Amino acid sequence: MSYKRAILARGLGTFVLNCVIVFFALAPLLWGFSSSIKPTDQILKVPPEIIPSEVTFAHYRTLIENDVFRYMGNSAIVSAATVLLCLGIGTFAGYALSRFAFRGRNFVMVVVVTVMSIPIAALLVPTYTLIANIGLLDTRTGLVLLYTAYELPIVIWIMLGYFNTIPRQLEHAAMIDGYSRFETLRRVILPLTGPAMIASGLFVLTSAWNDFVVAVVMTSGQAVRTLPVAVYFYLGFFGREWGPLLAASMVSMAPIILIFILFQKYFVSGVTGGSVKG
Amino acid sequence: MRIFPSLRGKGADDGGEAFAMRLVAPALLIEFLFVFLPLTLGVYYSVHTVRYFQVGAFIGLDNYVGVLTSPAVRNSFVVTAIFALGSLILTFTVGLALALHLERDGRMQVFMRAVVLVPYIISMLVGSLLLRWVLSQDSGVPQAVLGPFGSSGFSIFANSTSAMGALTYNAMWRDAAFAMILLLAGLKSIPLELYAAARVDGASAWYRFRRLTLPLLKTPILITIVRLLMHFINSLTFQLILTGGGPANTTETIALRTFRLGFEDYALGRANALSFVMFIFNVILISVLIHLFKPGEKLR
Repeated sequence: MSYKRAILARGLGTFVLNCVIVFFALAPLLWGFSSSIKPTDQILKVPPEIIPSEVTFAHYRTLIENDVFRYMGNSAIVSAATVLLCLGIGTFAGYALSRFAFRGRNFVMVVVVTVMSIPIAALLVPTYTLIANIGLLDTRTGLVLLYTAYELPIVIWIMLGYFNTIPRQLEHAAMIDGYSRFETLRRVILPLTGPAMIASGLFVLTSAWNDFVVAVVMTSGQAVRTLPVAVYFYLGFFGREWGPLLAASMVSMAPIILIFILFQKYFVSGVTGGSVKG
Repeated sequence: MRIFPSLRGKGADDGGEAFAMRLVAPALLIEFLFVFLPLTLGVYYSVHTVRYFQVGAFIGLDNYVGVLTSPAVRNSFVVTAIFALGSLILTFTVGLALALHLERDGRMQVFMRAVVLVPYIISMLVGSLLLRWVLSQDSGVPQAVLGPFGSSGFSIFANSTSAMGALTYNAMWRDAAFAMILLLAGLKSIPLELYAAARVDGASAWYRFRRLTLPLLKTPILITIVRLLMHFINSLTFQLILTGGGPANTTETIALRTFRLGFEDYALGRANALSFVMFIFNVILISVLIHLFKPGEKLR
């Protein structure tokens, strides 16, 4: 009897602990959302209402009046282009590193691991210096190229690991059938890489969509401003007017959370920089 | 430096040298142009007088001496050390606790892992902005929590100790899940039979943790610590959004100082010098990390 009670108590303890964890992890997001749909005078009410008694989308309308769609469009274009470029270049490089004992392979591996580890903040000022000198300041192209340079190593690493799990016999067979090396890669190997493409693509997409520090340094005009930079400028513009600020946070966060819910299992491999299970 | 095993004689295709080089060339070009070239240019700027973008006379290490003797920079070193160590200890502890708590693959554990990952996957900017809202007087939280202690007028961001505490909390809130994921990968690789055997031998839970889990987790723990440390030393968004370096620069870290030197004062010579100092420090940490990684073993 006491044994059963001990198990019950333990289960209850775990449950309470889990509730505490959920509260600390998600409360800022949920409360941010509930405040973003409150009328301005209700937001600052003390004690605060957890569930708003009066719902309004005025703050979201304020954002629309302040060009939020343009910034979202910029973020979407830059993120999509980065994903395409990263996958295009990274897949080929990963394949070469997985299959061929070429001269300089060790050097390329050192470059990949080094760039994967260099924190972007240490590069900001030198990179700004370069980008300004070659006329890519304040362009979407500049952002795409920089994001590609920063995210490429993780794509190469994930693809490399995945190619290593594909048996070489496949290529041998294809080449006996008369395929060239490139045809073998394109027709036999690439169609098998779906899961690794999705995992690395999602990782790049999230990083590019979320990036703030690179974009805030490399762009200044409204024409190419991305969503996170826009949120930062809203912070300066709206100050302590929390309604539009919280609404902007929700707009920036929503697509990422949706993708995370849909593709959860692919996310972890990007974080660990490790293997993908097909 | 040959730290990666060669593929030669291991069934690799030796004939495709030219083909392989063509495949890696675009990646190498991009990394060279946007990572290594900026660093070179940065070093060049750092040893010259620079007025906006006009590179002037060669002045040797004057920019370095200038930044390293500046009180603001020295202050930022101390602030960075406090922030990085405090955040490391807090984040690592919570991350390890989460990893141990959510180790098994039950439905509940998988769900909980997803929940704690949410602060990590959203943008740092948004996360810090939300915490800034929660911790500000405007939200009513500080008043509600501190009110009973008779200090409802207390502003978290106006006091240097509590501002640093808020920053550290922000770091933990976001990155504990990152530490958890890295440590979970390590925990998964420990064979369950070892625990079963220890249990048969009558080892207590604490003894199993102390004598089995910790020693076998040594490399993942070290990797996690180095990666967290690098991340915190270089973090910019937390400070820029949550505290803005305030009050009175008591939360202004090196990354934020460099940012201001470069993009508010436009002192590109000095900012590049400070960036390079930071870079050298990172290289030391990276070389530690590469040796811990032993990627060759994971290649196969």
